[in-house]
Amino acid sequence: MFWQQIFNGLTVGSTYSLIALGYTLIFGVLRIINMAHGQIFIFGSLVGLGLAVNSGMPIWVAFPVSIIVSSVLGLGLEFTALRPLRKKNVPHLASLISTIGFAILIEELTHIFFGADSRPVPAVGTTVIHLGTVQMRAADLIIIGISLCLMIVLHYWIQRTKMGKALRATAENIETAGILGINTNAVIIMTVVIASGLGGIAGMLIGIAYSALIPTMGLTLGFKGLAALILGGVGSIPGAMVCGVIIGMSEVLAVAYGDSSYRDAVAFCMIIIILLIRPQGLFGRKA
Amino acid sequence: MLLELKQIGKTFGGITALSDVSFQLEKGLILGLIGPNGAGKTTIFNMITGIFPPTTGSITFDGKSLVQMPPHKITELGIARTFQNIRLFGHMTALENVKVGMHTVTKAGYWSSLLHLPQQKREERHVRERSLELLEFVGLQDVADVRSDTLAYGQQRRLEIARALATNPKLLLLDEPAAGMIESETRQLDELIRKIRNNGTTVLLVEHDMPLVMGLCDKVVCINFGVKIAEGRPEEIQNHPDVIEAYLGKEDEE
Amino acid sequence: MDLLNPYTLQVITFLFLNLVLAVSIYVTLSTGQLSLGHAGFMSIGAYTASIATKTYDMPILVALLLAIVVTGIVALIVGYPTLRLHGLYLAIATLGFGEVVRVIMLNLKVTNGALGLTGLKSLGTRLYDLEKVIGIDAQTFGITVTQMKALSTLIVMVILFVIILICQIRLDRSRVGRAFSAIKADETAARAMGINITYYKMLAYMIGSMMAGLSGGIYAHITTTITPDDFNYHRAVEILSFAVIGGSEVIIGPLFGATLLTGLPEFLRVLAEYKMLFYGSLLIAVMAFRPYGLITASTFDKWKNRKSRSTSGKGGV
Repeated sequence: MFWQQIFNGLTVGSTYSLIALGYTLIFGVLRIINMAHGQIFIFGSLVGLGLAVNSGMPIWVAFPVSIIVSSVLGLGLEFTALRPLRKKNVPHLASLISTIGFAILIEELTHIFFGADSRPVPAVGTTVIHLGTVQMRAADLIIIGISLCLMIVLHYWIQRTKMGKALRATAENIETAGILGINTNAVIIMTVVIASGLGGIAGMLIGIAYSALIPTMGLTLGFKGLAALILGGVGSIPGAMVCGVIIGMSEVLAVAYGDSSYRDAVAFCMIIIILLIRPQGLFGRKA
Repeated sequence: MLLELKQIGKTFGGITALSDVSFQLEKGLILGLIGPNGAGKTTIFNMITGIFPPTTGSITFDGKSLVQMPPHKITELGIARTFQNIRLFGHMTALENVKVGMHTVTKAGYWSSLLHLPQQKREERHVRERSLELLEFVGLQDVADVRSDTLAYGQQRRLEIARALATNPKLLLLDEPAAGMIESETRQLDELIRKIRNNGTTVLLVEHDMPLVMGLCDKVVCINFGVKIAEGRPEEIQNHPDVIEAYLGKEDEE
Repeated sequence: MDLLNPYTLQVITFLFLNLVLAVSIYVTLSTGQLSLGHAGFMSIGAYTASIATKTYDMPILVALLLAIVVTGIVALIVGYPTLRLHGLYLAIATLGFGEVVRVIMLNLKVTNGALGLTGLKSLGTRLYDLEKVIGIDAQTFGITVTQMKALSTLIVMVILFVIILICQIRLDRSRVGRAFSAIKADETAARAMGINITYYKMLAYMIGSMMAGLSGGIYAHITTTITPDDFNYHRAVEILSFAVIGGSEVIIGPLFGATLLTGLPEFLRVLAEYKMLFYGSLLIAVMAFRPYGLITASTFDKWKNRKSRSTSGKGGV
């Protein structure tokens, strides 16, 4: 039973990690938390799901659609809510509030286009593999697998490629990076696209995990990813990866051994606790 | 003995900012703390005002230990300061800035303010009068209602001094008050500091402007690389070989 | 516009309630603390007052007082450790707090979970009972009972707001208000001026939270029904928006923001349909063009100067 919970937590947690990666990439480069992240990728996922279902094509078609739509929305965010504020001398929290505004906008658009009802996701990978007492659905293994691959690819890309280096430089100090000849605006666009794209994938994976996508999930999932971000330390990529899984496992264990109705509060309690005892997060460095 | 630093040491992680610095400041004197940039002078200020504690050593003011005392309590005891890079309350007017300085010498709380009790109204009148007096003392009476972050640089420096004086300090710490000033302004500053001392306030000042320091201070302490290298009257310090070396470097041995 | 229309009266009543909420967020912001948790305090106040009147049959004044006290205690417990957080981290922590409150309210038996508390005896009805006792009723004024109740509620709300506003203005101009302002501008310098940062930040936080709690208690007794979702993340953003869009530097700002955001959807029906789209776009636009809010300290100064030039008088506080 315990290991089953751990496995379930791993599945759900790896999607949280992808969401948290989206937050941490944007924070690293722009020093802001994108409060519209959840809403953006849920919208993208719903578009992908809708398209795949309506056109009768296999669910895998939904992935690229979700990635593209999420990225486009992310770019929309960058150009309307973020870039205009970078040019001026604005109070630090103005960008945060701007992203909240964008989030509300997207949430309402989601409600207008997709309503509030849960939308079923066609079953995928229903074969079940048994490992000892643990039952693993193929779908879960796919989710864990894809998440892991993405994280490994992202890690290598950031550490080994030229663009990755440009990203790290911009994250370190945007002004210096600019002076050294890096096109920081391009780096920012690239970061936003990757972050939103990762979110788009995460959204679809969650849809597969739960066999459904609920339009209001954007807010809840956004918060879970935020919890992973803060727990891991804002701007820390390993932090986001590890803590997404930790949050996932904590939730599942809390439901299994505690009170299921407080599931959503787990992530928040962890945010509050970590902010009080170690605000820089588990992997962050003290400011 | 108003202020005494005994064997002060401070390390930040692996870096030793200060080691074994000791000096005393008698009441009514003006002491100048000099030394090259990065020598540790502002660190000493920060420790006296309680921003962080010394790693070793003791700081005593008027007989009381300042170590581990929170900054606002230190101000209540009678130490006020200005900052190297000017920390005014930008969106508040000059007058309001000085009024904030009077926080420790007034006591109106939440309820008396809300209910507009007579003693609160009296106190507010007193605060306004005294604040205007202080602005006049530093020559800023004409800009009382101007937003402080729109004032000229020299005016902002003087405002910070007025604000610090509002706390009615026994000891005034000035962190590079002459930075960025032209000669006429520096002369005015010299006069102002003398006036402050003559009113009974002891002054401890960090400065790079040598003519100002040598002309104004009764005692000078020179710090380099976190260690005190000289202490004495201005004339002694001016000719002290270690001080000269600290600023100009050693002569090449041919 | 038929002013004595009960619906209109209720809208204006809610406007004044929002004005009180605007003051509550302004107080906390005046020390530089950005709180996304006021909806949580509103919730605590609403539920406390409602349980007090519904289950324990307490008089409304006692219930509201209880709401204020309970909210204050929670604010003290929650506020003290979060004092050390700043900006972004404080926003996230208070957001977390609001969500935790919502989930708790959703699950406690005494709050009746998702169904919430219903059938509360409204403020209007209570006031009307009081009025009947002293011998006035709707007949005296030639209006209907519903109109009388709505009007009575509105008058009480207006009086409450005016009292709170006067108190806040007095506070702003006092030693305490200056301490708040100093803390907002520069905490290190404020400490150097002898201000006990912890005490004053805590004070501002508690005042703001208790005001939100009071508003919650009143809100419950106007709508007569509350559910945990009435005080969710959206409500927290709405309250914050009053100050963010209106301006948080001077008290007029949040009041203007509250009026704009409450009133506009009423006047422009099409906006009410797509209220959230309007909200979101407004937040983005205001941050892009006037990040300190529509009414800033300099806007206010210009108005004051124009006024003092036409009437001769001395300036200064």
